[in-house]
Amino acid sequence: MFTDANKKRATEIVALYPKAHSAILPLAHLAQDQDGWLSPEAMDEIADYCDTTAADVQGVCSFYTMYKRRPCGNLVVSVCTNVTCLVVGGPEVLERLEHKYASDHDVFVEEVECLAACGNAPSMQVNYEYHEHLTPESAEQIVEDYKAGRLVARGVSGGLA
Amino acid sequence: MINVTIDGKTVEANPGDLLIKVAQENGVYIPRFCWHDRMKPVGMCRMCLVEVEGIRGLPPACTMPVAEGMVCHTETPAVKQAQDDVLEFLLVNHPLDCPVCDRGGECPLQDTTLAFGPGESRFVEEKRHFEKPIPISDVVLLDRERCIQCARCTRFADEIAGDPLISFVDRGGHTQVLNHPDHPFASYFSGNVVQICPVGALTAKPYRFRARPWDLATVETSCGQCAVQCRGALQSSSNRLVRLLGVDSDAVNHGWLCDKGRYGFEYVHSDARVREPQLDGKTVSWPQALDAAADALRSARDLHGAESIAFLGGARGTNEDAYAIARLAKGVIGTDNVDSQLGDGLPAELILGVNRAAIADLDTAAAIVLLAPDLKEALPVLHLRLRRAALECNVPIIDFSSVPHGLTREVTHALAPLPGEQGKRAEQLVGALNGNAADAIVAAAAATIAGRSGNIVVVLGRSNLAERSDATVQAAAALAGLANVKFLSALRRGNVHGALEAGLAPGILPGRVTIEHRDAVQQVWRTAPEVPGLDAEGILRGAIDGTIKTLVLVGADPIADFPDRALAIEALNAVGTIIALDGFGNASNQRAKVMLPVTMFGEKSGTTTNLEGRMQRVNQKVSPEGIAMDDWRIASEIALRLGDDFDLELVDEITAEMIKVSPALAGATPALLASSHDGVRIPVREHATEIKVRKNNAGLLDGEGAVSWEPIKADVEAVDVELATHESADESADESAGEAGAAVIDSGETPSADKATITAPTAEASATVAPTAASVLLTWNRIAPSVSLPGRDAYAVRLVSGPALYDHGNAVNASASIVGLRGPSKLLVSAADLQRLGVTNGTEVHVASAKGAFNIAVHAARGITQGVAQLAMGGERGANALIDVGSSATDVRVETIQ
Amino acid sequence: MGLAKGFGVVIRETGKKKRVTTLYPTVKRPKPVRFHGRHVLNRYEDGMEKCIGCELCAGVCPAKCIYVRGADNPVDAPVSPGERFGFVYEINYLRCIHCDLCVEACPTEAITESKLFEFSFTNRNDAIYTKKELVVDDNGRAQRMPWEHWAGGEDDNTSAWMRATSSSGQAAYEDRVNWSGELGFGVRSAESGQTADSMADAPGLNEGDAHGGHH
Repeated sequence: MFTDANKKRATEIVALYPKAHSAILPLAHLAQDQDGWLSPEAMDEIADYCDTTAADVQGVCSFYTMYKRRPCGNLVVSVCTNVTCLVVGGPEVLERLEHKYASDHDVFVEEVECLAACGNAPSMQVNYEYHEHLTPESAEQIVEDYKAGRLVARGVSGGLA
Repeated sequence: MINVTIDGKTVEANPGDLLIKVAQENGVYIPRFCWHDRMKPVGMCRMCLVEVEGIRGLPPACTMPVAEGMVCHTETPAVKQAQDDVLEFLLVNHPLDCPVCDRGGECPLQDTTLAFGPGESRFVEEKRHFEKPIPISDVVLLDRERCIQCARCTRFADEIAGDPLISFVDRGGHTQVLNHPDHPFASYFSGNVVQICPVGALTAKPYRFRARPWDLATVETSCGQCAVQCRGALQSSSNRLVRLLGVDSDAVNHGWLCDKGRYGFEYVHSDARVREPQLDGKTVSWPQALDAAADALRSARDLHGAESIAFLGGARGTNEDAYAIARLAKGVIGTDNVDSQLGDGLPAELILGVNRAAIADLDTAAAIVLLAPDLKEALPVLHLRLRRAALECNVPIIDFSSVPHGLTREVTHALAPLPGEQGKRAEQLVGALNGNAADAIVAAAAATIAGRSGNIVVVLGRSNLAERSDATVQAAAALAGLANVKFLSALRRGNVHGALEAGLAPGILPGRVTIEHRDAVQQVWRTAPEVPGLDAEGILRGAIDGTIKTLVLVGADPIADFPDRALAIEALNAVGTIIALDGFGNASNQRAKVMLPVTMFGEKSGTTTNLEGRMQRVNQKVSPEGIAMDDWRIASEIALRLGDDFDLELVDEITAEMIKVSPALAGATPALLASSHDGVRIPVREHATEIKVRKNNAGLLDGEGAVSWEPIKADVEAVDVELATHESADESADESAGEAGAAVIDSGETPSADKATITAPTAEASATVAPTAASVLLTWNRIAPSVSLPGRDAYAVRLVSGPALYDHGNAVNASASIVGLRGPSKLLVSAADLQRLGVTNGTEVHVASAKGAFNIAVHAARGITQGVAQLAMGGERGANALIDVGSSATDVRVETIQ
Repeated sequence: MGLAKGFGVVIRETGKKKRVTTLYPTVKRPKPVRFHGRHVLNRYEDGMEKCIGCELCAGVCPAKCIYVRGADNPVDAPVSPGERFGFVYEINYLRCIHCDLCVEACPTEAITESKLFEFSFTNRNDAIYTKKELVVDDNGRAQRMPWEHWAGGEDDNTSAWMRATSSSGQAAYEDRVNWSGELGFGVRSAESGQTADSMADAPGLNEGDAHGGHH
């Protein structure tokens, strides 16, 4: 359920579009930033705002991988293992982080395709904020900095809403 | 028209038509999965790739509009290769569980693979796996492994049904159709997706594993659940009905069915059926039961006069049933206290006497005026047709509903009258059309109508059962005064229009005439009533005050269906003798002295008439349960015992006699009815030019050719039908009766088309057959009763009530697959009223009217005006427990429970 | 004179040649390999029925003697693997012509024909075999009804059929005769080299392993 503040924000977002249906994507970002994931209940609520059905919202949102349909904590760590990163140690970064945060419900580590940061590989994103030139150790340090609040994370949608 | 060359053959086509359709119409079948004639093309499956000269690559024929001079090839090596590849690709993930799949044997993917596909697959890897069938609703199961992502189901749900409760989820190789976890695919039209699925991904629980395609026998018939009478292919296996598929009828249902129609036939084989005649609760033989019924009627007539006998019902069977009952009541016994509507309809003079519209007229209307109950609940497929008219044909809808309903989103102008003020609002609309608008909404509606050409089609039904019909009649009277207006009846009960046409209403005789025009029936009938009798309300009141002593219930259950339950109970307790013709025992006929079991849907043949006055043949598929008998035969047996031999042995003889005495049916013959495509519309002479005759019926439903996923269509041509005179109709019936009567039982074959063309009426013959003159047909006098609404006190809410699709009738109660779909009754009020009560959604509250009281959950609904409440009819907590039929509005007090 | 001559031939020949008549029914001649007798409904080694109630046998039956109805497999106690099982299975032996088309149509080799043909009935009801009689017993052997005359070996090898493809879907086995050596349950042996000519090599035909799959 949207918080009161987000309900107001949602109404504002819907008002931006000639058709309420167009507001599905921004509202999904808003819900995901609030809850950390896009729950079935959130889709249901979005459907009400957008004058459509929950199935429709689910269909739209499941198309995009940046919408998480299971809880993924506060930090989404996306590690690239595409060609350039593969060559210079991306998989090692991934392995280290996956192992370390395997049971940490706050951190969701995922393997992604090219992040278009090949120049400074290996690279990863934490809530869609770039971090480059990584080693397994520095990557772990960066995540720890986020967890400790030394680095400030955007929403799990990357603050798009 | 433009010229297109397909496989070397030059054909004519309309610009903008899709290539796949043009090809099909000219005998070239391009394989396809996703394209469906009634839906927009998407080009998802890539099966219909063809070569078009001048276009690089292979475009899909389903998204390619034809253009002048287009040259298309569908059988070149490149196309063949593409078809092979597409099929191999589609089969990569398709499991080979054809032997256990309900679609196996009638599967488009199987058939297309055999006809166009490669013999072998190069794919040896593991196929993708999903959990085997998951229920996406109470009646539909989804097997995602079998899905080929053609989007037929999701498009149907969105475009046609307007319930987008399923959609594609995920993407790439993981794409699957799914509903939202909290919202099942609870659409009234969910069964259609099963029918149009080109694989076995969607299967219906009621039909699951019940039969295989090769052991089905099929006849074409009309569904009898509501007055739309959708065309369907009724299939049985081992003498049990197992499936009803929608047949694509341009005029009526476009191939769609609602779930109640599709699965609701299960009641036919229900254990609750009455299978043998009963006398005073004991099973007896037919002769004993018929003797007892005749004795009761005879002694009642001799002791108290014919007026002491009343007939209620008759809207459930065929036209022949209704006609035979009418002849028994009016022509043998001589009473006019006959009503096929149970206080939930509109006056017969109004329905029969206005300028009637066809369903197809909706598509070309200047505007549609909605003066009807929630059509999604009452007449679901008519709802689909209205939706199509609004969305596809851009016809504006002007709405006279007091509460939100299934079409609210599609409404252009909502005049939103308060309950009981429809008449006033309609007069305002007519006023606005004449230049003096009462308010801006009415002015806008009038401007919309004025800005378009064509007919105004008024969808006319009983918009609120919690008030007398007066306000609706008043509105109809106002609208009927407009120049180019047509009325599409929205009465609900299965064959109520057929019953009205057959004379099952007070003051009416068969063929749309009043009892003043007795001459037509008196050619055949022994007598005919001279003064109009009582309607349903009058009959029930007569039973209470003792003037009605014998009541014949013809498939009627007034206690369940009459809007005022208290009155009905009192009446049925008071009446001396009850004789019931019914397939089920119910609250009303439990006291019946004689219970006569009747045949039901699929167990009898004859004709039925739908809400646009379209008379079509219905066919028998299975033998009757027990020793049930057709209503018409029971009527004729009782008449015989009362000393009047109908001398009618076959159903076609009844049809012929009905036509003979019905001025509105003049020109029709049983043979014409059997061979005409989409039947004939009444009055037949007025609509003679619309009649089309089937070139062959075999191609449609010969058991082999019933391809359910494509629109099931017959090969038809418009022919000049020379209508019969009464004399020749009679002869042709004698000729064809045996043949047609026998044919319908086995395979739905009908006499050949040439039988339909009967000798031309000579001027002499026409002149001598007086009743055929159109002038005798009923014309509504447009006299509207004045409506005086009682004042409403501030604590009460005014009730609006209509039927629910899944009601409390036998068809739902005795059909295991759909009885569970019926939700609990709930009272809908405005958010403001809910707040005023100080309760939350779903709280039980106490509702009370002058007639009754009960506790019920209350919910706020968007779009309801403050001071108005909505409650469906039927069941323990139905509106009929609250309604006082004598009052022009029902106000109920809603109180919180302490 | 002619009479004496005739007797002479009999006397001369008596005892010279081996007797060709068998002492039927105590002794039965071996049946031809493609002999079609009474059906059996087979089971898998774990006891599950092979029949999935698909009705293909009923559909193909030229005598319309088979009546099958499928039903949803009970989730907690499945009768056969998969969604569907043969809920009703009946063969009317007053109609059956033992053409074996049902066996060819069966996608799971659930129905095969044994070599038994000696059975008769005293009433019509007995002629309709239901699942109760047709399904093999716990040892994978055909049940022996009191009115049937079984002899040794008649339930060893069952039907042979021509294939469109093999059950693995490989077209290489098209048109080859396949033998279902096993009656009852057991894993069907590999398909390699099964032709009418190399019948003797057909795995499962001469080996005991076909019925050997007891739990």
